[in-house]
Amino acid sequence: MTATAETSVRVDARGLTDVGKKRKANEDHFVVMALRKSADVLETSLPDLRALDALRGPEGWLFVVADGVGGLAGGALASETAVTTLAEYLGRAAGCFNRLDTEGEQELLEQLELAVHSAHRRITELYGGGGGGGRHAADGPATTLTMALLVWPRAYIVHVGDSRAFYLRKGRLRQLTRDQTTGEYMVSSGVWTEEQASKAPIAGTLVSALGGQEMTPTVGLVDLLPGDTLLLCSDGLTRHVSDERLAELLGRPTDAGMACRELVDEALAGGGHDNITVITARMHAGPGV
Amino acid sequence: MIQKKVCMVGIFGTGKTSLVQRFVHSMFSERYLSTVGVKIDRKPLDLDGTQLTLVLWDLAGRDGHEDITTSYLKGAHAILYVADGTRKETCDQLPELRALAREAAGEVPDLLALNKTDLTDQWKLGRGDEEELAGAWDVVRTSAKTGAGVEDAFQRLGRALLATREARS
Repeated sequence: MTATAETSVRVDARGLTDVGKKRKANEDHFVVMALRKSADVLETSLPDLRALDALRGPEGWLFVVADGVGGLAGGALASETAVTTLAEYLGRAAGCFNRLDTEGEQELLEQLELAVHSAHRRITELYGGGGGGGRHAADGPATTLTMALLVWPRAYIVHVGDSRAFYLRKGRLRQLTRDQTTGEYMVSSGVWTEEQASKAPIAGTLVSALGGQEMTPTVGLVDLLPGDTLLLCSDGLTRHVSDERLAELLGRPTDAGMACRELVDEALAGGGHDNITVITARMHAGPGV
Repeated sequence: MIQKKVCMVGIFGTGKTSLVQRFVHSMFSERYLSTVGVKIDRKPLDLDGTQLTLVLWDLAGRDGHEDITTSYLKGAHAILYVADGTRKETCDQLPELRALAREAAGEVPDLLALNKTDLTDQWKLGRGDEEELAGAWDVVRTSAKTGAGVEDAFQRLGRALLATREARS
């Protein structure tokens, strides 16, 4: 996949999910999508088609990871619904991402939030609301959601729950999201210390989830550079693999598919207590295929 | 509904994120987590009957590793600079930051939040320093911790935005 903007870049993006070693079912879902405004030249007398190259490649990429939790209907349904709804919603919007001015960008940010709210409503309507936002909600399924819309060079991040987004630049891993959990909230509010949070049984309970009683998406963005790697993952990865190890594994000169495989294997070797889902996207300089 | 992009700019650790947290969510945390990329929040204001939504772009602060990413400033309608009164160097770098921002965003309304007034016992600015700042900036003393001056800072910037808009129309 290629994009031409300020710099030409080839995006190598792959995803992988694994049930892990302890769970009977995989409640995670993900999608890696190239968003296209297709314009294929079938025949022409033009001698030079380079000016039309930008119309042939994708104008954006959508990456989504969702980690379904609890509920009688099963978290897998919630995460599937979330990913499907977002893919449909933003797939329909393809064609509007190029040459965003300030107003257009604000509109896009609103659209991203609306897409998440739309997925939340759909889960609530289909499976009943008030999933408690908890890891062990008994009254309805819910799901985390971490999404990146890449319109080179800018990655727009929308996040709900405790799946995570990172990027690696020159060996340095930076986390783009903050977990929406009781522990994180209590520490942020100054009520608990980090140590208290690490010992509290409810620290991992989600305070915000699609299908949950509370759903508060956070929005951010980062401008990427050729050489950067974007990582989205469920907590089945991060509960077993430290940030330092993530940086080390992502820093290896592998393609995105192999990077996903190595990350999942590392989480499995660490215990594989939960479903594991990863998406990696490597930004390579220069035009690609 | 009028929406305006407002960028938060300053050196790392001056309290940009804390000011946004206080203003938008009425929260404060002593814990310092450096911002990665840009965090975006919205806050609707009612300024004498005019509805204005500030779209707040909380930029990662300049630190030893990375400078401000000026591409984030492109299209900003206003800039809220934040300095920390307990670290004089955060004020010393303001002219340079303003020059960078003006190059990217042009001459847009701006304001300086002189933050951490709850720590005046550790204040490193003398009266002369503050007078000098007041000569170059519209300054509001703020404390994200207590909330002092926070609403005032954003409202003043909001009014400046509306005034610019009226002057253009």
